[in-house]
Amino acid sequence: MNNSLRLFVQFTRREIRTRYLGSVTGLAWAFLTPLALLAVYNFVFTYIFKARALIADGSFILFLAAALWPWLAAQEAISRGVMCLSGYAGLIRKVVFPHEIAVYAVLAGTFALQIFGYFVVLLVLKALGEPVHLRGLLGAVPVLVVMMIAVTGVTLILAALQVFIRDIEHILPPLLMLLMFLAPILYPMSAVPEKMAVLLSLNPFTWVANRLRDMLILGDLTPHFGDLVALCVAVAVLVCGRAFFLRLSPYFEDFV
Amino acid sequence: MSAEKPLLRLSGVGKDYAKVHTAGGRLRLVWRLLRRRRAADIFCALDDIGFTLQRGQSLGIIGENGAGKSTLLKIIAGVVKPTRGLLEMNGRIGALLELGSGFHPEYTGLANIELAATLFGLDAEAIRGKRDDIIAFADLGEHINDPIKTYSSGMVVRLGFAVATALSPEILITDEVLAVGDESFQKKCVAWMEKYLENGGTLLLCSHSMYHIQKLCASALWLKNGKMEQYGSAFDVTQAYLAYHERRSASVARVPLVEAGGESGFYTLMDVEMQPETAIRMGDDFSVRGKIYSPDGREPVMLFGLTRQDGTPVYGVSTDMDKIRLRKEDAKRFAFDLVFPNMMLLPGQYLARFHALDPEGVRLFDTIEMPLTIKGETREFGLARLPHEWRHQRGA
Repeated sequence: MNNSLRLFVQFTRREIRTRYLGSVTGLAWAFLTPLALLAVYNFVFTYIFKARALIADGSFILFLAAALWPWLAAQEAISRGVMCLSGYAGLIRKVVFPHEIAVYAVLAGTFALQIFGYFVVLLVLKALGEPVHLRGLLGAVPVLVVMMIAVTGVTLILAALQVFIRDIEHILPPLLMLLMFLAPILYPMSAVPEKMAVLLSLNPFTWVANRLRDMLILGDLTPHFGDLVALCVAVAVLVCGRAFFLRLSPYFEDFV
Repeated sequence: MSAEKPLLRLSGVGKDYAKVHTAGGRLRLVWRLLRRRRAADIFCALDDIGFTLQRGQSLGIIGENGAGKSTLLKIIAGVVKPTRGLLEMNGRIGALLELGSGFHPEYTGLANIELAATLFGLDAEAIRGKRDDIIAFADLGEHINDPIKTYSSGMVVRLGFAVATALSPEILITDEVLAVGDESFQKKCVAWMEKYLENGGTLLLCSHSMYHIQKLCASALWLKNGKMEQYGSAFDVTQAYLAYHERRSASVARVPLVEAGGESGFYTLMDVEMQPETAIRMGDDFSVRGKIYSPDGREPVMLFGLTRQDGTPVYGVSTDMDKIRLRKEDAKRFAFDLVFPNMMLLPGQYLARFHALDPEGVRLFDTIEMPLTIKGETREFGLARLPHEWRHQRGA
């Protein structure tokens, strides 16, 4: 156990370093990409689609940042996590180690950078005079943790499948795109027709987006019954995902 | 004391690999594995492997490409879970499987040292203590700070060997690695291994070099098509293995065997026998006897020869050459009896060849081949022990 932890720390450290040390601008890319996306979406939805009108009060850019950034974190974590085992192929074929640690390390590396970036952006927006409720940051942490738990479970399943079925990496991008537009990330829940609202509420990220906005924009920290459900679902996904992964991992060596 | 646990014990170990060619097949395979079923279409890479390894008793594993050597080593190293059978391990294992074992290509040499040590189970402090030893042994200079992917295969092996040596495992598994380093590094490795063995280490060596197997291992295991072909002393097994290869490469144009003893119009060999029959120990006496049938009653020439399994002649002699006459048994039968005292052929597998020639010693009429095994434990090279003596120690 202790040894697994050491391995996790080492893998995660390498993950972060090899990802950004190799490129010229280094760590900056971790922030530049989401910042650019934020700017683009803000421009498109403010000046072209006039989505701003849908927001009763407050600023559109804060509304966007609050949900878009965590979504990008989740999306990147899943995409990277699914592909990570082939990067560790050399190790998997020749050394004994718990394969799941490779997945955890990639997820931890991605989340660490993205969540850090998220908080930096929120603080910068606050400094620029946007109505960010700093108290809400406290509530945002558990919401993000629940999201990370669920993402870990999903990634474990997809990463194990990817070893055997290479189609996963091709199916994933359009699927993630669909999930993004079927969650209230670029638009508020209030803009959604009632029939569609049911469909949207089945998307787990809807819960994440809504709760983050509740806390950060409205400053409302009261827990809901839905939070408990979300936590239970996330833990269940993780438990199932891990069982799935461990069932298949003894056969990775031959296929990875 | 005598009931010490063996370092390693395998019994009935086998490994099947799933054979999948289509995407649909992969999907079905995943579904089966999830339900804890076996794969439907399998390739049996290893079957029924069983042996026991005591501490300090090194084992060499030999066999052709694809015989299952690497799979067996991976099973022992724990990377592959056997499909069948039991594996009992009572020691810390250090594996050096193939090239770049356990290295991450993107990491630098230094980072990989740390990684390998962590995978082996060392904590940060222990790693720091070993790091300088490893760097010194690998002797890669500045390259230690470059990513492994920029290394040549020889450099990767140097680093791998250096890591394995520094971790001082109770069993060291190496797979073909000695073949890659340059001459001086190979010497360094062999020297290290000998010291390691002296200090009670156990080696599991997979190599195509019978020289290394004989030098470093007490016993050997010959794998053929995933099964144990032979298991025993390193000398016996390597000799049998080499003989098998000689036989295989000698497939062309063997003299067809003529049925012995038939009374025809030709000079024919009869009642041929060897003493001892099939195997002798190096240094023992070896004799052959038999008769030749002569249809015209004239005395034929008898030629006896020894060859390697692939037909390489070792020695041949005839009655003609030695100006020896056969013993006349009756009007048409002539007997021979030949002895080689103190047979000095080196251990291995040979063929004894008996030939019947016409009285002029020109035309060959009949041939009989019999396999002959010479047994013994020696690491001398070549075909035969030449008489020799080292005189430098006799003084003036």
